[in-house]
Amino acid sequence: MSERIPKGAVVLLAALLLCAPPFYLDAFWLRIGLFSMAAAIGAVGLGLLTGTAGQLSLGHAFFLAVGAYGYTWLAGEPGPGLPTGLAALLAVRLAGAAGGLFSPVAGRVRGIYLGVATLALVFLGHHVLLTADSVTGGFNGRSVPPLSLGGFSFGDDGGGLVVLGVPFGAEERLWFLGLALLAGTWWTARGLLRGRPGRALAALRDSETAAAVMGVDVARHRASAFVVSSMYAGLAGVLLALAFRRVVPDYFGLALSVDYLAMIVIGGLGSVAGAAAGAVFVTALPLLMTRYADQLPLVTAPGTTEGGVGPTEAARYLYGAAIVLVLLYAPDGLTGITRRVRTRLRPAAPAPAPATRPSASAVRTKEPTP
Amino acid sequence: MSLRPTTATAPGRLAAAPPELRVQDVTVRFAGLTALDTVSFTVAPGSVHALIGPNGAGKSTCFNVLSGLYRPVSGQVRLGDETLTGLAPHRIAALGVARTFQNIVTTEGTVADNLMLGRHVLSRAGFAATALRLPRAVREQRAHLARAREIAELTGLAARFETPVALLSYGDRKRVELARALCLEPRVLLLDEPVAGMNGAERARTAEVIHTVRAELGLSVLLVEHDMGLVMRLADEVTVLDFGRCIAHGTPDEVRRHPEVLRAYLGTPGEETAGEDTTAKSTTAKSTTAQGTALEEVTDSEGDSV
Repeated sequence: MSERIPKGAVVLLAALLLCAPPFYLDAFWLRIGLFSMAAAIGAVGLGLLTGTAGQLSLGHAFFLAVGAYGYTWLAGEPGPGLPTGLAALLAVRLAGAAGGLFSPVAGRVRGIYLGVATLALVFLGHHVLLTADSVTGGFNGRSVPPLSLGGFSFGDDGGGLVVLGVPFGAEERLWFLGLALLAGTWWTARGLLRGRPGRALAALRDSETAAAVMGVDVARHRASAFVVSSMYAGLAGVLLALAFRRVVPDYFGLALSVDYLAMIVIGGLGSVAGAAAGAVFVTALPLLMTRYADQLPLVTAPGTTEGGVGPTEAARYLYGAAIVLVLLYAPDGLTGITRRVRTRLRPAAPAPAPATRPSASAVRTKEPTP
Repeated sequence: MSLRPTTATAPGRLAAAPPELRVQDVTVRFAGLTALDTVSFTVAPGSVHALIGPNGAGKSTCFNVLSGLYRPVSGQVRLGDETLTGLAPHRIAALGVARTFQNIVTTEGTVADNLMLGRHVLSRAGFAATALRLPRAVREQRAHLARAREIAELTGLAARFETPVALLSYGDRKRVELARALCLEPRVLLLDEPVAGMNGAERARTAEVIHTVRAELGLSVLLVEHDMGLVMRLADEVTVLDFGRCIAHGTPDEVRRHPEVLRAYLGTPGEETAGEDTTAKSTTAKSTTAQGTALEEVTDSEGDSV
């Protein structure tokens, strides 16, 4: 990649930076980070399905709910009360199985029709969450048992864990769990995209005929894309449940599915880094807007009815505008912008067609578009 | 550089001689329109067989039957002992039948990505192994990438290996399709107008590649092409289709002089005498040669004008 900075150093630096926040920031910021990480995991999954395999899904919220509620039920009371680590693992598999059950539909229906079919999942899921009281707790939801792995609890156990002089509560601990899960997601998803399955999925998106003729089993790969994407969604659901400490049906509505679509579009379709960046953008923005509402013009504090726009609505307007701007000026999303900025900053970089390039100048005013 | 995949670097399909590809009485109908009418021909092992005919004669339909995209209403296609008709396209690909498309169908991404797609049936790594980057999957990918690079060199794409396909010229993209098909290590290669829209130098280059792979890999090639010069130079045998029917078979020279072929391409001098085929067939050798020359001229000019 970069000539001057070795890739390993970049990764190490990023890891160090990401490990720092629990020591400096308070719970509010950590929670934003946690939600962003969970969203990033889910968005990577949707990116794989919609961005890479080209299957439009509006049902991502459903698979998130399966993960979140699956964990809560499996680990909690009432429920089997399994060890929480096992429950988390099973919840991910459960989400994958749900995706697998839906895949016969996904195998038959294409494009916008598939989008509408997945929409049904969200409504179905929401209805079940509201009515299956014994499992889901109905309208009020359920509290989520904290995860504990090998005797180490990722909740407020009052144990008074102190690291480097900082008391480690649930948020601090979950931060590292979230980082680990996100890193795992990142690593596996990039492996998938650059490997045989990723190429097969991309081929399906670009031309099913060509993919089939090159030996790609179309039905099987379409189904697998759904299963894998749902498993990432399930993992995101587990992390979300742990971060919220309570799962409620209303969170897993259509708006959430749309949020995830927004994430991958803003980030740039077909890229892991893009999905993660879009997830942070879409998740963090409303929360930050809510926090700093009083300092923004035309935005009123939550709860007041003086007219003007509430912070949550303002955040939605803003990211609605962001989607439109991205689609208009950078259809390849945040990843595309980063790529272009990078090529601009490195005029001497090895270009694909060096012969036609003008001599390297420090500042290039215009990038030749292919 | 050897064209044959070395087993050490890449697991390929090392078949001694490709099996015979037999098309038997294949009929395809689209809502009353008979696109192919009991078409039969055989591609001899290791030969270059051209399929020619005017536009709409059913050449591409025939390709779609061979690669499993269309199912014929009757008749069958056999590759050696295997029956191809009724198999899904990906199964046919796995049997070693690779094809290119008339209109280029590449995927996004680099040339390398496209060629690696061609290695799909020859590799095994699944979702789990790839996601977890198991050593087996990593090793497999590396071996296949090396082979894909070899094929890129063979087809003249080595310098473009990491270039996104979208940035390539038309001729190069056409070549990417050919290289991708070769990446399957096919036993039978179906080429749908491999040089359409190319300039003279590009045509010569592609013809050379086809000639080389056929000579060195010993695979059978079925070729649809309008460039008659190319067909005459490369083909061992030619089948002519017109309105979905086989009207002639034979060596390029025989076909060039076949009265039915001349009629299909040029029209009979007087349509009112069309029924008198017997007279057309018994015309003197001199006039047939004259017509043959005319066909050559027509097709040559067609080739140059593109």
